[in-house]
Amino acid sequence: MANIAAGTVRDVAGDNRSGLTKFMQRKSTIAFLMALPLLVLIFSLVAYPAGYAVYLAMLNKGMTRFVGFANFTFLFSRETFWMVVWQSCLFAITAVMFKAIIGFIVAHFVHNIPSKGQRKWRGMLLVPWVIPPAMSTLSWLWLFDPSYSAFNWLLQPLGIGPIPWIGETGWARFSVILVNVWIGAPFFMIMYLAALKSVPEQLYEAAAIDGATWWQRIWFVTLPMMRNIIAITALFSTIVTFANFDIVRVLTKGDPLNTTHVFATWAFRIGIEGNDIPLGATVSLFMVPILAVAAVFILRDITKRGSEV
Amino acid sequence: MTDTAIRAGAAGPKYGSMSRDRRWALRWSYFFLVLFAIFFLTPPIYMFITSLKTSAEISAEINPWWVFNPTLGNYIELLTQDTFLRFFRNSAIVSILVVTITMAISVVAAFALARMKFWGSATLATGVFLTYLIPETLLFIPLFKMFAWVNETLGIQLMNNWWTMIILYPTLTVPFCTWIMIGYFASIPKELDEAALIDGATWTQTLTKIFIPVALPGIIAATIFAFTVSWAQFLYPLAFTTSTSELVLPVGIVTTLIKGDVFNWGQIMAGALLGAAPPLIIYAFLMDYYIAGLTAGATKG
Amino acid sequence: MTSRKISRRRFAAGTAVASTALVAAPFVRGAYAAGKLSIGFWDHWVPGANKGSEELIREWAAREKVDVTIDYITSQGNKLLLTIAAEAQARSGHDILSFSTWLPAAYAEQLVPMNDVVEPLIKQSGAVNATVEYLGKVKGQWLAVPATIGSQMKGPCSRIDLLKQHAGIDIQEMYPIGAAPKADNWNLQTFLKAAEGCHKAGVPFGIGLGTTSDSVDTCGAIFHSFGAQLVNDKGEITVRSDGVRQALEYWKQLVRFLPPDSPSWDDASNNKAFVSGKSAMIMNPPSAWAVAKRDAPQIADQTWHHGFPSGPKGRFGPFLPFFWGVWRFSRNQAAAKSLATFLSQPAAVEKLVKASGGYDIPSFSNLTTLKVWADEAPPKGTLYHYPNPHNHQTLSIAAAPAPHKIAQQIYTQGVQTQMVVRYAVRNEPIDRVLGWASTEIEGFMRN
Repeated sequence: MANIAAGTVRDVAGDNRSGLTKFMQRKSTIAFLMALPLLVLIFSLVAYPAGYAVYLAMLNKGMTRFVGFANFTFLFSRETFWMVVWQSCLFAITAVMFKAIIGFIVAHFVHNIPSKGQRKWRGMLLVPWVIPPAMSTLSWLWLFDPSYSAFNWLLQPLGIGPIPWIGETGWARFSVILVNVWIGAPFFMIMYLAALKSVPEQLYEAAAIDGATWWQRIWFVTLPMMRNIIAITALFSTIVTFANFDIVRVLTKGDPLNTTHVFATWAFRIGIEGNDIPLGATVSLFMVPILAVAAVFILRDITKRGSEV
Repeated sequence: MTDTAIRAGAAGPKYGSMSRDRRWALRWSYFFLVLFAIFFLTPPIYMFITSLKTSAEISAEINPWWVFNPTLGNYIELLTQDTFLRFFRNSAIVSILVVTITMAISVVAAFALARMKFWGSATLATGVFLTYLIPETLLFIPLFKMFAWVNETLGIQLMNNWWTMIILYPTLTVPFCTWIMIGYFASIPKELDEAALIDGATWTQTLTKIFIPVALPGIIAATIFAFTVSWAQFLYPLAFTTSTSELVLPVGIVTTLIKGDVFNWGQIMAGALLGAAPPLIIYAFLMDYYIAGLTAGATKG
Repeated sequence: MTSRKISRRRFAAGTAVASTALVAAPFVRGAYAAGKLSIGFWDHWVPGANKGSEELIREWAAREKVDVTIDYITSQGNKLLLTIAAEAQARSGHDILSFSTWLPAAYAEQLVPMNDVVEPLIKQSGAVNATVEYLGKVKGQWLAVPATIGSQMKGPCSRIDLLKQHAGIDIQEMYPIGAAPKADNWNLQTFLKAAEGCHKAGVPFGIGLGTTSDSVDTCGAIFHSFGAQLVNDKGEITVRSDGVRQALEYWKQLVRFLPPDSPSWDDASNNKAFVSGKSAMIMNPPSAWAVAKRDAPQIADQTWHHGFPSGPKGRFGPFLPFFWGVWRFSRNQAAAKSLATFLSQPAAVEKLVKASGGYDIPSFSNLTTLKVWADEAPPKGTLYHYPNPHNHQTLSIAAAPAPHKIAQQIYTQGVQTQMVVRYAVRNEPIDRVLGWASTEIEGFMRN
């Protein structure tokens, strides 16, 4: 394929008008033209601004002078920066893990019940994922409210609380993760459910005849069969979770003591609220390499598996 | 004969215990499903409860889980308010146009990348995936600068206009949809398009007559995905629009209904529920396609 | 500069105008404004207050034949700040915009100087307080016009009944209607005792320790009353000073009596605590009371706004001014200036203050004794002491008198409240807290 393409290029470089018509009819040319809108969109509104962001990250605070990597070295010397790195990773990893586990468990249970009831349950359990997060987070905010927390009202008779849901570092981190899990778990559930359905029933029967316990069935049959989809769902969820802005922004704004900030919200705090746009750009740039590493690992794993099977 | 009898005999009790196991498994399943359903549905239900309350009842020290004086006032007030309807309208137009643009760009591009292959197409396919890694929090400040340039050289004002979202949202939807579609197209047997091409069909015909019909579940899934994303998008409209006439729903609710001190929670919740209704309805009808399309596309990609 | 502006205005009006008239009577200028004007004002927290400003703007627009569009932009979630940042970067947006506290100084280079508007206003309605001058005037230039809309005090807003019952304080006697306060005993120690009493009774003082402005302002006022400056006016870091240590020690005692989740409170949390009756005192402008009037009248009836307790270095009340600024890229600067002048006339100011239920406080000294505050009810006179009519407290803003760019960071990042949380809530050793604060502030000195 690459040879043909290279040939085309040579033809054109070679010359003339009939060459041009021919060139226009070439498969690769048509294909390129078909992909052109995508290219234009990505280059003008993603790649170019991303490059611009890199440039911005190398300016001084007043955006008047080029300072090279000074913003990066400055960040490395900040205690808060390292805390944000830590919190972002903690947030993303824990949230994705719990989403995966809850998604798996729920998918399993839905799969267990008779198929005519499944649709109803699936629909109900998908609700959190369908409501726009900025709106559903508002309802959590109201549920967590220091004075009006409906959760604390329920817990009060049990002698628990009042729990500072978003008031104390530990709880606030828990709450932020909880909301993220709540929003994201249904997506995992749906993906896993579809994967479960694609596992051939005979495999389970064979396992049952071999006397496998339910645990062994999950471990040796279900999980290996779902490996790809688990990885891919986890990857997408990691990307979205890691770059999350709305939940933290609406729920805690990074408080208390900046301990719930993730990269996106801290970048916003520094860049917009603190009026230091280059530093804000620098902070948000850190998301990209971390995500890229995750993407490479998970995708490599998938392709490796794919070629084995 | 005896052999079978023994086997049947041996299998008998085993099957019995298995069905008892099944019954228990079923009970446990329902038990846990109910638990999870409570977890998943509590916030929306609480939203609904709160949306039926007056602000006096919300600020009162009484059982927050019950509505003592239910009122539709919050809904009526919202639905008779020009601004809220305007948010709704903006959201609807933006989402519909974004979905259309997204699908036009990504189906065609995915077909080219998955089936036609040209120089650099493999790299491009990976590149499309990589754009998904660039978060919008990184992009919105450079976009301000670009908008300034557009305004000063071309005289087109992109700030504070709802239709700017139609230009911006596809950056969030197109990469993923293209990626899903590449995966879906890849799962279609090669013989299909080869046969068509041999019969003299053009590439466009192959796409419209063969691929699009076959890949319909994938297309529906991608459409729903694009709709969900554009309906829910928060940061771009927050950063780029200000006037109430230009806001879309999520930002409109957050910036105009929350007034810091005021107990507008009834209205906020009513607004949020109304805002959540369109995607809920769409999912209710198209969920099966969505699931089928998404999983097929994602696994093969 | 001035002459060019006049000629443009003359051009816009299409008639020859005696330029002396323009200089002598700023208000006459409006007549030549004309054209279009897009306005971005702060979305008021008091229900109905926007209507007051809208009526005034319409009145002005009709007279001046200016086509206006008004956007009310909320400060909730810092949307106003984001809008300002966006417009500054995109070099386009509203012709006249509300700038809160630090923002005029932050965008100094991009704002049109307003000396020709502010100076006549000062002549007309009296001087502005030091905080307004510190925030709005840089290097002898007014960057923006001190605005009535949104400018507020964040003094205590107390429950008369609860303070009587649990703290033995008759706040109405201390701050009587129509008379100077008899508040000599109202100092930080009495305050602490009152906080303890109310905490024991389950109605703790609703003071937040988050990083939003209500928390920062309260914290800043207490820091001021110990003379605690993190950075002095020369830009030197003075974190390791006695004043700062004393302030932190005081907070350590006070924090015990605050709600446990105060570190995450935002500007709405204290209002909710107050309106729900769970708190005997919050530090807030009268918006909490305004909402209580509607949703919880029994609580509004018992509300009294008054002055801050005094500390060893004086009595400081947090004052949060808003400004009206005009971008250099604005297309109708003449009309914007005319509108700012119009809205600062005594009659307009009175109307705005009334519409906001007494929430807004004009910055000009002759306008702080309007009848509105004495009249507002229930209970009658609750707002009398709100605008500091007897000047018994120094109006201040947290992080002053540091140079603006540093002070803004200290303020928006909530460095003072963070110090308090670290020291008093999390019990970190004081040297670590001070060390943390000074490295943080060193970071703010980048430019």
